[in-house]
Amino acid sequence: MATQVFKVPDSIRKDMRYGFCPGCDHGVAVRLVAECLDELNLKEKAITATSIGCSVCLYDYLEVDAVEAPHGRALAQATGIKRARPDKFVFTYQGDGDFASIGWGESSHAALRGENVTAICINNTTYGMTGGQLGPTTLLGQVTTTSPTGRNLEYYGYPIKITEHIAMYDGTAFAARVSLDTVPNINNAKKTIKKAFEYQMEGLGFSFVEILSTCPTNWRMTPQEAHERVRTQMMEIYKPGVYKDIKTLK
Amino acid sequence: MTETMTKPEEKVLIKGNYAIANAAILAGCECYFGYPITPQSEIGEFMSGKMQELNRAYVSAESELAAINMVMGACSTGAKAMTSSSSCAIALMQEALSYAASQEIPLVLISVMRGGPGLGNIYPSQGDYNQATIGGGNGDYKLTVLAPGNVQECVDLTYKAFYLAHKYRNPTILLADGLLGQMMEPVTFKDYPYPEIDNSGWALTGAKGRERRLLRSYAPLADVQCDFVRSLFDKYKKIEENEVMYEEYLTDDADLIVVSFGSLSRNVKSAVNVCREKGLKIGAFRPITLSPFPSKELSRLSNSAKKFLVTEINMGQMVKDVRLAVNGKVPVEFLGKPVGSMIDVEDIVTEIERQLEV
Repeated sequence: MATQVFKVPDSIRKDMRYGFCPGCDHGVAVRLVAECLDELNLKEKAITATSIGCSVCLYDYLEVDAVEAPHGRALAQATGIKRARPDKFVFTYQGDGDFASIGWGESSHAALRGENVTAICINNTTYGMTGGQLGPTTLLGQVTTTSPTGRNLEYYGYPIKITEHIAMYDGTAFAARVSLDTVPNINNAKKTIKKAFEYQMEGLGFSFVEILSTCPTNWRMTPQEAHERVRTQMMEIYKPGVYKDIKTLK
Repeated sequence: MTETMTKPEEKVLIKGNYAIANAAILAGCECYFGYPITPQSEIGEFMSGKMQELNRAYVSAESELAAINMVMGACSTGAKAMTSSSSCAIALMQEALSYAASQEIPLVLISVMRGGPGLGNIYPSQGDYNQATIGGGNGDYKLTVLAPGNVQECVDLTYKAFYLAHKYRNPTILLADGLLGQMMEPVTFKDYPYPEIDNSGWALTGAKGRERRLLRSYAPLADVQCDFVRSLFDKYKKIEENEVMYEEYLTDDADLIVVSFGSLSRNVKSAVNVCREKGLKIGAFRPITLSPFPSKELSRLSNSAKKFLVTEINMGQMVKDVRLAVNGKVPVEFLGKPVGSMIDVEDIVTEIERQLEV
């Protein structure tokens, strides 16, 4: 008798076709979020405030209630949702531009206040949906459509290390950075997302996962080259790991 | 400092800002999110204490951008929620108001106008008529805007703001000014007089036993967006048919009708009384809903009146809506000043007499 070993998660909508670019890590990240929602039985109590950019497509794929926040305001809306309905599971799924540039105020203060919500930030070092412009996490030297000779300090300043910042705040219960470049790292990413979700369920405060991701289209790379870039360039600067865990602090 | 909560039917002397906050509590406001700005800070101060006492939600937001988005988040779950702010800070909320109108989120925003443009000052002004009724958000949308003329109306229209916001799922602004916010008047707090609106058909509560719900404004397909905006405007038409509010004073035989809104209408009424004592046939008209605007009623009055005089504490904002309503049938003149104080009764009378001679 056949045993099912693999299936589309219940939290994934069945009527949508995959729309991300080939080799983009958003697809993997969305699936991991859906698997965690399934395994923690959260689908029916989850509400998400979405972001602007490629990450807004989350609501095309997830079978969860969603409100569309203006660019960068997802964590302000998540705050409102959670304060109004503390019994619900509230999370955001944002790009690095949404979370750490236009929304940095809302993101930082949600963490500072210790809002009991979970934020997932996809860091691909560029603005993907608008065609690959320089963003807050664009690496020094990286060529984008608005840094045609590469990011230099004189014109652009430094990129932001998001997780390190979020980890500093007293309201943050959990902050970690993961990557999706290998199967072991994907498995670790899932465990990390799940842990962040569990911290919210336990009411411990703000939980955060930064996911290093590819953007092969705007990086002008094949999926293989893009994952190689994650390994050799991004992970050198944005080192994966757990930066804050309130349970192991004491 | 927070004033004591008053019991329904008890007459109290109370400042406009506290009256609004008190009314919001009695209307069942479950969540308040705000950032301080004069001349409305008493609202947030009152709410900070009272909401915690009642075990309701309160957040000192990091900015007005965040505050209005927190309200949107709370309202997306069907909760009654509000923020309050003023002029240059409400400028920061325009993005969210466009989203909220599009996503049909029933938020309540208390706007207590101060002077502008820019930082302006904290003197009374009506310079944000355009900001409230036209708005600075992108795209085709309309908000519901209510303008109280005294502190009792601050209470009554705060109740109504929550009711209309939820009845039509449309962001609703209570547009007061620094004078109303800061002055004390005797007020009665009745029980919230409106039925509770059932939000269970659309509110985000988690996809349990039903398909997921999505409050979105993004419609990549042109025809979908077109149909959606048309449906919004069908709704705005219903609001206009059912909810227009205004006050008429001695308009039946009036040769000249003075049109004003908000606190300034009090002086206009006094000016009309002075003119009537002099034997002049003068009336007054006060839109209470600024959006929808009582255009039909003004159009009707333009059949009998020979002239309109619009007066505002700004350089001429509502006057444009009056001119559209009157549509050239009779002259529509304007008396205004940018900011600082009321327009005195004598000055209104003088202008009325001048207009009668012209």
